[in-house]
Amino acid sequence: MKKLLRTFNRLPFTSRAGLIIVLALSLLAAFAPLVAPFDPHERVTRPFATPSLSHLLGADDVGHDLLSVLIFGARPSLLVGFIAAILATSIGMLVGLTAGYLRGAADTVLMRLVDVVLSLPVIPLTLVVGVLAGPGLVTQIFVISIALWAPMARELRAQVLSVRERDHIQALRAMGATHSYVLLRHVVPAVSPLVIPQLVLAVKSAVLLEASLSFLGLGDVTSMSWGMMLSVANERSAFLTGAWLWWVLPPGALICLTVLGFALAGGAVERASGALNPRGKKTAVTPAGSAGTPVDPDALLQLRSLGIGYGPHLSGGCNEVNLVLPPGTVLGLVGESGSGKSTVASAIVGLLPDAAAIRQGEILLSGQNLLALPAGERRALLGSRIALVPQEAQSALNPVYRIGAQILEAIDVAQKLDSAQAEARALQLLCLVGLPESKYRAYPHELSGGQRQRVVIAIALANDPQLLVADEPTSGLDVLVQQEILQLLSSLRQRLGLSMLIVTHDLPVVAELADTLAVMHQGQVVEQGPTSQLLHHPQHPYTQALLASLPDASQFERTKS
Amino acid sequence: MKMQDRSWLSRLGQYALVIWVAVTLNFALPRLAPGDPALSMFTGEGDPTPKELAELGALYGLDQPVLTQYGQFWFNLLHADLGLSTGHNRPVAEVLAERLPWSLVLVLLGLLGAILAGTALGAFSAWRRDTGRSGSDKRLLTTVLAVDAMPGFWIGMVLIAVFSAQLGWLPSYASAKLPEGQAAALLESARRLVMPVLTMIITSMGTYYLLARASMGTVLSEPFIRLARAKGLDDRTVATRHALRTALLPIATNAAMAAGSLVSGAVVVETVFSYPGLGKVIADAVAVRDYPLLQGAFLLATVGVIAANILADLLYPLLDPRVRRARTVQPA
Repeated sequence: MKKLLRTFNRLPFTSRAGLIIVLALSLLAAFAPLVAPFDPHERVTRPFATPSLSHLLGADDVGHDLLSVLIFGARPSLLVGFIAAILATSIGMLVGLTAGYLRGAADTVLMRLVDVVLSLPVIPLTLVVGVLAGPGLVTQIFVISIALWAPMARELRAQVLSVRERDHIQALRAMGATHSYVLLRHVVPAVSPLVIPQLVLAVKSAVLLEASLSFLGLGDVTSMSWGMMLSVANERSAFLTGAWLWWVLPPGALICLTVLGFALAGGAVERASGALNPRGKKTAVTPAGSAGTPVDPDALLQLRSLGIGYGPHLSGGCNEVNLVLPPGTVLGLVGESGSGKSTVASAIVGLLPDAAAIRQGEILLSGQNLLALPAGERRALLGSRIALVPQEAQSALNPVYRIGAQILEAIDVAQKLDSAQAEARALQLLCLVGLPESKYRAYPHELSGGQRQRVVIAIALANDPQLLVADEPTSGLDVLVQQEILQLLSSLRQRLGLSMLIVTHDLPVVAELADTLAVMHQGQVVEQGPTSQLLHHPQHPYTQALLASLPDASQFERTKS
Repeated sequence: MKMQDRSWLSRLGQYALVIWVAVTLNFALPRLAPGDPALSMFTGEGDPTPKELAELGALYGLDQPVLTQYGQFWFNLLHADLGLSTGHNRPVAEVLAERLPWSLVLVLLGLLGAILAGTALGAFSAWRRDTGRSGSDKRLLTTVLAVDAMPGFWIGMVLIAVFSAQLGWLPSYASAKLPEGQAAALLESARRLVMPVLTMIITSMGTYYLLARASMGTVLSEPFIRLARAKGLDDRTVATRHALRTALLPIATNAAMAAGSLVSGAVVVETVFSYPGLGKVIADAVAVRDYPLLQGAFLLATVGVIAANILADLLYPLLDPRVRRARTVQPA
């Protein structure tokens, strides 16, 4: 009992609420004779009586006490729901286990069948079967199971397939264990935890379907379920009179409560959210001032004692980062993944993830602290004065728009041009990054990875930014294309006098391009200085280790001399 | 291209299979059920005598071998002969054809509304969650689950009680005679449609909400959303032009799958509002055990669901220039 209570407390709030609702309704059904004030089958007052103290919900057309009918109505409603759900789950489990475990032809045939059943419209199907069988509880249970087993089979099969591939199952089968042994002792126990929420959700669907079927005339008149009550109320047009308040509202509300209860208990909320990434809560922090390095009046970009943290404890990220980027130069920020270099790049462009917050420091662009700017002004800088070439640039283009439209969009943000001028500018940008004009009307999927990377660079250059931040500009490209992109960046820098911050884990990538290098390790800049000095006379042990790990350091000496 | 052709073929095969199963169910069910299958075709009053049943059986070829009967069944079907409605005493095909336009209007308007409302709410929910306000996302999700838990016919009854009986704003019965004059008739038809369509939207919205929320949630973490932000676009443009537009793709692929539940919803909603569509025909057929009509309606509903799927397949390339099922961008 204690253990059960502990498990209960560990469940999410919504599931607990659902379980309480389900438990309360089940108790109501079980103890209906004790709770109900009258026998629901007896005429206890005049027909169509309005609510009174002795009959809180009034009476129906015969004179039955509606409150008592409502309380007893929990019995057929829940009974049909439970039995149909258990039946559907059993069939679904049998089919799912067979298909998932045997695979091959049995799997193909069974899953085709499941797909067919899922395509048939539920209500017409159940009616076509149900009318032949005649109305009643048994018919309802039968047709509801027919409608509900298929989705269950599909989900369980997927589970069985994944369980089947587990090492110990493979080992058991290799040792010659019989199918029935493996199935009963290993596969079924592994899949069972999933069956229970499935069953609970099936009860939800069954209760709702029972109500609809009863309403459509497949119900049992002798056992008034809530759906049947509504059906009778509908026939007597109760909703056209004041009786809707006590005859129509309560049974519907109870159906709704039951269905919601089972949905929540079955983890519908968690299911819906499981597909989405968990997001941290934003922590509002005003960055503390910095007492780091003095302000460099000539620098285009300067970071002073920048500290960034993730999550509620503001841990990880980076600490005391000081960087200086003079105008017209290229700064390479190098570090392994997790060193905090991408966090720094995101902070500069102002696109930190929600879970991250800036603890302290300043980001100065031409002497102006970006962190002190209101959000609107900050965004106005993006794309116009600061441009970002994001990570995974090959998938950074929206798949549903043409290249031209995506470049135009960037131009429109900061420049007031008419459409002909804007198009001319876009074509000029394509030319600038070495792409033919014909790509203007192409979709991203029609371009190679290197071409897409060029388009992303063209977008970044759309408004002649002063600073280009490139986050891993060559990742995911093959070596030759990497070279081409680096050459492009190098030529752009010369032609446009662009200042660049290049973030990478790959030292050789920036060694040719960068004037200065900064090495990050565990959230801190451990060393920075002119490229040749850092390559030839590394001071920090981490930089030394980094250089030593490269295949042939002598190559860089040649390129830099 | 090759792959795509094959998946087209396999989908068409699946659709054909569904239709075949529906037809065969129609054929087999009365013959498998206990009692004389001729009973389900009896149109007269009261219980038929054994002699009458035998005559009826001979008329419908029930004394022939099963395979011959099956062949005849298909032959009739392909000649649009769905048998005689026992309740209406008219050919089933005629009754269905008469009611079909009404149902199409209701289902299409309901589908459109449900997709619009569900997608907008779902996208909003995911956006809220993505921008660190998961509290309002969760509240909306729970509300939608609660609405989804309401039986459709009950929502209809409550709407009638409030807007027709209590407030008197809208007509409650959709099948009464229309007033004279084209404009007046049209206006009255529109007024009668309001509540049935509203009920359809409320009951089917949840599916599209969950779809849109999941889809939008995935899209918001895609790299191209970051690039859109890096361009300096404002939140609304990023949310609608980039995230929502792309999130529509999986919604479109799955929307047709939900068409089946919409048809089911129409049956109950039409019954509540006495709306003269197929759903009402089905409900009435249940009441008088008009089996041939029920079979015909079941088949028509299945064909409708398949048609919706084919339509979605045809429209999909308009939404996705890649004309691929996969929504994620293929790395080079």
